[in-house]
Amino acid sequence: MNAMYRKGHDHAGTTTAQLPVRARERSLRAFDPPGPDHGTTPAFPIRPFLPRSPRESALRRRLRRLAWALAVTTGLWLVLTEAGPDSLAFGIPAIALAGVLAFATTPATRWRIAPLAALRFAGWFALQSVLGASDVARRALALRMDLAPGFCDYPLRLPQGAPRVFFANAISLLPGTLSAELEGGSVIVHSLDLRRDTHAELAGLEWRVAALFDLLPRADHAGSPAGGAA
Amino acid sequence: MILIDSLAALAILAGAGFFMAGTIGLLRFPDTFCRLHALTKADGLGLALICLGAALLAGSAGEIVRLVLIWLFVVLSAATCAHLVARHARADAAAARNTAVTKETRP
Repeated sequence: MNAMYRKGHDHAGTTTAQLPVRARERSLRAFDPPGPDHGTTPAFPIRPFLPRSPRESALRRRLRRLAWALAVTTGLWLVLTEAGPDSLAFGIPAIALAGVLAFATTPATRWRIAPLAALRFAGWFALQSVLGASDVARRALALRMDLAPGFCDYPLRLPQGAPRVFFANAISLLPGTLSAELEGGSVIVHSLDLRRDTHAELAGLEWRVAALFDLLPRADHAGSPAGGAA
Repeated sequence: MILIDSLAALAILAGAGFFMAGTIGLLRFPDTFCRLHALTKADGLGLALICLGAALLAGSAGEIVRLVLIWLFVVLSAATCAHLVARHARADAAAARNTAVTKETRP
């Protein structure tokens, strides 16, 4: 596990010469941050997507995706225009165009969302984004800014497509972390404070995203994030 | 409806406070990556609070749904933009390091 997770191995920041002295000191310190050892986080199993149902033909699948795209754009139009009858002359072509574009430009990935896990995720995520914003505001306003920035790798185990993109975006809204790059099999995360246990925080988020996309083995749903990953 | 009005004013003020903190972070933080943290997180919550305040004052359900949509799209695009800017800055820094190395090793 330690070999997969090389903490602060590459501080590819602004060139240090451009920084004020105190910041330069900090950004150099980030090469060798103090912090807990991360060899202990246990991996929890993530299962792959369920296989496609063989009874549904390719044409039916495409039609279903198109219907979804049209439903979403219709909903957006109705919300934006308050469904006035005179808006439909523009609305029907606009809805059709947006729906077809959305259908044509997004790749056909299959994923499903577990409704209960989604609710739980929304509540947790709201709280975390408040914590994240307060944390960054506190650091910005403090007289001596409390920063120990640097990069770390987190190996990705979520399947390609929506779960990975969702995971990367959620990382950026969590306290102290920002997804900088999806590279090969891992996400490169910038952390404001490498003294925190970034790896365990990311493992907790990964578990929640896996539950959201219904990718955990069934028996695991009732539990909490694996081990010390909470 | 003094209570709702003052709650809304409080939320909007707090939201403006987070925008201010985000901007101060943008100016004070030492490098591109730390600055992106300030932009995505503080401004996201700032907008959420302002939308909450506006939703408390909203006259119809449609307005509330529109406010939620505004917040959702802004936060999504902020996360995506931060990711793209960070990726670009990393590539830039790597390129700068390479040229610095070749200059030093030149006889």
